[in-house]
Amino acid sequence: MMKSAFTIAAKDMRERIRDRSAFILGIIAPLGLAAIFSFVFNPIQDFEFDATYAVADQDGGPIAAVFVNEVLGGMERAGIIEVVAVDSVDAATALVEAASDPFGSEESADAAFVIPTGFSEVVQSDRPAAMEVIVNEGGGTEASVAVSVADGFASQLDATRLAVATTEHLGASGDRADAGTRFLSLPEAVGITNVTTTVKQLSGNTFYAAGLAIFFLFFTVQFGVNGLLDERNTGTLSRLLAAPIKRTSIILGKAITAFVLGVVSMSILVVATTLLFGADWGNPIGVLLLIVTGTMAAMGIMAIVAGFAKTAEQAGNFAGIIGMVLGFLGGTFFPIAQAGGVLAQMRFLTPHGWFMQGLGDLAGGNLADIVPAVVALLAFALATGSIALIRLRKGLAP
Amino acid sequence: MKSLVIAATNLRRFLRDRSNVFWVFIAPILMILILGASFGGDSTPRLGLLTEGTGELAADLSARLDASGDVRVAVFDSRDALVRAVERGELEAGLVIPAGYEETISAGGSIDVEFVTDSIDDTRAIRTSVESVITQQGSLLRAAQFVEAEGVGTFAEGLAAAAEVEPYLAPIEVTTTASGEAFSLSRLGRFDSSAHTMLLLYIFLTSTASSGALIQTRRLGVARRMISTPTTARTVLIGEGLGRYSVALVQGLFIMLGTWLVFGVDWGDPLGAAAVLLVFALVGSGAAMLMGALFNNDQQASGLGVLFGLGLAALGGCMVPLEVFKWLSPGLWKVAHVTPHAWGLEAFDNLVLDGGGLVDILPYLGILLAYAVVLYAIASWQLRRVLTR
Repeated sequence: MMKSAFTIAAKDMRERIRDRSAFILGIIAPLGLAAIFSFVFNPIQDFEFDATYAVADQDGGPIAAVFVNEVLGGMERAGIIEVVAVDSVDAATALVEAASDPFGSEESADAAFVIPTGFSEVVQSDRPAAMEVIVNEGGGTEASVAVSVADGFASQLDATRLAVATTEHLGASGDRADAGTRFLSLPEAVGITNVTTTVKQLSGNTFYAAGLAIFFLFFTVQFGVNGLLDERNTGTLSRLLAAPIKRTSIILGKAITAFVLGVVSMSILVVATTLLFGADWGNPIGVLLLIVTGTMAAMGIMAIVAGFAKTAEQAGNFAGIIGMVLGFLGGTFFPIAQAGGVLAQMRFLTPHGWFMQGLGDLAGGNLADIVPAVVALLAFALATGSIALIRLRKGLAP
Repeated sequence: MKSLVIAATNLRRFLRDRSNVFWVFIAPILMILILGASFGGDSTPRLGLLTEGTGELAADLSARLDASGDVRVAVFDSRDALVRAVERGELEAGLVIPAGYEETISAGGSIDVEFVTDSIDDTRAIRTSVESVITQQGSLLRAAQFVEAEGVGTFAEGLAAAAEVEPYLAPIEVTTTASGEAFSLSRLGRFDSSAHTMLLLYIFLTSTASSGALIQTRRLGVARRMISTPTTARTVLIGEGLGRYSVALVQGLFIMLGTWLVFGVDWGDPLGAAAVLLVFALVGSGAAMLMGALFNNDQQASGLGVLFGLGLAALGGCMVPLEVFKWLSPGLWKVAHVTPHAWGLEAFDNLVLDGGGLVDILPYLGILLAYAVVLYAIASWQLRRVLTR
């Protein structure tokens, strides 16, 4: 039984190599798209927070000094921002406006702070006080961080005012500035510690390489699976059936072809994207496990399509639709996990979603972490494979 | 005349295949829907919240986070689940309010909440939002602690007094003035930009992916037979091209009208939008004809058609807005303008954002028309070469 299956597979494989379609769909298309995607999307992923803020201190008082020297100065010393001191509101506005033109001069600021005359004095009284932030409309994160910095400083001042006012409300009296200083010497009630987790998502080039690879895998295995329909089309199927070959051997032969095409093209993609685009697929054993189970799942699904289609053309059309919808929902083109909600969870209804998550878990963890993905892919393969087998055998019934 | 007959035959062959209904009508709408739903609208970052302790202060903090509107709060009840969601990018960040939050603070001590992220650099914005809410609550807590430290009352008395005093204090205002030009992205509606880009992507993709039709016409021998009658290669090509062109037009019209009716997508001046559609569909069908003339195997052509259809769309700003290219990488912005997609998008931007009309977009239409003419000319020359060889 195995011998005839291998003979059929070998013949199919020779055909597929001679006709370059599998090569184009399985390797050239995903590799080309991975190159374009990484070219287009990388500048965005490489985007780093890099802000320049202008500050116009028209007050010159002690509280303004705290903002300029400690708040902004601290961020500058930490290398988070750059600070440019200017003398007038006009100069500050001009710098912010200059940021509108990406092709323009280097001299620009994402936002500017203006501390008005008399600010320090007013803050220590009960009167309303205000400071101004000039932001560039197109400034994005840099601009909103500037507003947050000012807000943060204002709330520190508010907190001091509130604390002093509360003690006064409860009967305390004394110099406000002294009380304020005593208040600020108390530790913050609530601090924030950063906990950095591992990253279980694929980054940049690896994401596009993996996404496109699994997307096109479904079309690559189709070349093997559809072999049965081709045989029927060319009339060679009835000859095969008349020969002393078991029906299962014929199906097995096609399955071997699909499996080899899938695993080989995926492996080539892994090596090529690693060498060409610096993709980082992770632990090779884990990757191989995911490729093998992923290919089996793809074969199962495509075999069902072949089982229900009448001609190879019809199968191709259905396969295109199914591959597209599953690929889209599975997050092969964009990280759908980030979309949140139901849409993000729906990726686990597709083999694509499990394959991508498996690679993500592999990237941030170890081999044991991919067990759920491998089991899910195997389950897809088993369920769809057995339906397809029954259907295909029936189709071959004399 | 002959071209029309060829076009009609081509169209009939196309329509006989039911799955084309999916590609022409369903796929684009599905994609616009998913993209619009997931990325177009709410970009408020998601914060997972885990409260390990109990008590009013922790509940108050979580209510304040919810009310701030700067984050979407998702409540978690286990640290593992929270960490996993952050690791997988399902959340931008997580916040853990530790056990003993209330006890420690009311005893005058200080305690840390945990801010969980996979990258500190990428989460500065959400971190600032969280910080500001914590400071907001913190100012009341600190005032209460100060009351106790100053010996004028207990923590509880202080907290009550602070809550009483707070509404009467004029907060220090931070006024924000915007200057400079707005990001044009932000001026578009939720589904607008994805509808514009998907229109161009799909018109082009459907055309190039079905470039196999011309190859089939050749392989079936129909093309050679037509050439042997008094029919030029150009007529054959125009006929086949017209078939593709009408599919592209119907698809484009469907996307435009459908998204306008269902999602209220703004397409700008109807005359201008129609002109962009007419010309861009010509470019798409021209690309399909060129591929159909160049390749000999329809499976290869449709594989490469997907590659070109998606690849050029990605380069041309259909996946990442052109404005973003302009800001992050001016070089990439220039490369984008090698593709017809970028010029089509510029035309739509002009129509929708600047309220332009047909006259304003003439330069873009001219460039697109030039693409179409060049594509058809090369395709026609190549087709004659392969058919008379």
